Amino acid sequence: MKDSLVLLSRILAHPDSRCWFLAWNPAGTLLASCGGDRSVRIWGREGDSWICKSVLCEGHQRTVRKVAWSPCGNYLASASFDATTCIWKKNEDDFECVTTLEGHENEVKSVAWAPSGNLLATCSRDKSVWVWEVDEEDEYECVSVLNSHTQDVKHVVWHPSQELLASASYDDTVKLYREEEDDWVCCATLEGHESTVWSLAFDPSGQRLASCSDDRTVRIWRQYLPGNEQGVACSGSEASWKCVCTLSGFHSRTIYDVAWCQLTGTLATACGDDAIRVFEEDPGSDPQQPTFSLTAHVPQAHSQDVNCVAWNPKERGLLASCSDDGELAFWKYQPSEGI
Amino acid sequence: MRDLLLLRRRFHGEGYREGYEEGSSLGMIEGRQHGTLHGAKIGSEIGCYQGFAFAWRGLLHSCATERDSKKMKVLEALIGMIQKFPYDDPTYDKLHEDLDRIRGKFKQLCSLLNVQPDFKISTEGSGLSF
Repeated sequence: MKDSLVLLSRILAHPDSRCWFLAWNPAGTLLASCGGDRSVRIWGREGDSWICKSVLCEGHQRTVRKVAWSPCGNYLASASFDATTCIWKKNEDDFECVTTLEGHENEVKSVAWAPSGNLLATCSRDKSVWVWEVDEEDEYECVSVLNSHTQDVKHVVWHPSQELLASASYDDTVKLYREEEDDWVCCATLEGHESTVWSLAFDPSGQRLASCSDDRTVRIWRQYLPGNEQGVACSGSEASWKCVCTLSGFHSRTIYDVAWCQLTGTLATACGDDAIRVFEEDPGSDPQQPTFSLTAHVPQAHSQDVNCVAWNPKERGLLASCSDDGELAFWKYQPSEGI
Repeated sequence: MRDLLLLRRRFHGEGYREGYEEGSSLGMIEGRQHGTLHGAKIGSEIGCYQGFAFAWRGLLHSCATERDSKKMKVLEALIGMIQKFPYDDPTYDKLHEDLDRIRGKFKQLCSLLNVQPDFKISTEGSGLSF
């Protein structure tokens, strides 16, 4: 293993506070960060350095836990512990809060846009997952409240091309949802993790889902459609998801985030042991039982827990990370020759 | 000596039987109380939703814009779920699943109507608590 993750720059993004989450806009030109200081910050590149372009501090009363860009890149959603989700509209470098979504009973933990941009999902400590529909006039309407989890829901993520939603929870499971007759239903429960599931990431094809957990493992789940050649049982016309790989023994603490690069298929993890790790799928490994190798490991990537890792959607190998120490860091991942 | 053994066996048997009957009857009473308590809770919760839904159905009927038709659809879905709920079958295995779906539908309706219910929804979630 070569140490091929090189630090490009480091910024104290949220001073005296935690930096919780990062999101690249679809064009890969802007990075949004959010933190315990109740603000969202927008970062853009100027020359070799990253500059804070905007500070969005009017929207929330408490910690901003996650942010997400709409697929068109013109809107940003922020989920906060104040039980609301704000929708910000981008005008040049300015952001205006156009809507505040209310309904969750307490802390909103995550927010995600569907690939079409017409649907938004939020989840909360109140154990529910909400699906919202956006109309042409920027009006948001709740289309479903899903009470499938038995505990705090930590993360929501959409399939890269279909209207399939996944959620991760403190109840140790991952659940998948789809629309059915004017309502949304839970269509699969992925059981296997032995503790809280913190984050999720689909691979570029959407056939596989990576989940990371407090049990210090990353699991890779694969979708099997009815009538699949491998003979994995499905109930009726419902696809079934099976754990095909478990990455264990690499992390010494809770894994808070996993990111699957949509350009290269490289996996990165953010861990409570202050480290960032990068994994590559072994070429030629059996698709039904893939194996992954650790290709980069930065033990002291941050001085405290690493909360998030995010691959730039356009520039190969550009990774951003953030931490409890309030810092935001940019890294260049260079796969060594021969792998 | 043999008599003593026989006596011991007899009293052991009788004691067991009496204890079993006493325990069963106590268990029955406790179970009934527990069931009544939880059943009443669920009943009053669903009753609140139903009253809310009926009141809003009356209100929405008078004005029917396109936007209201969506609300009406969700409203009817909630009423349908409440009417289908098996109130007389405590052994129904999806009782809590259905209850959670009703709670979700109610919250969705509140969000669409832009109202905040003034009665508190039990936050214990599903599952029995002892």
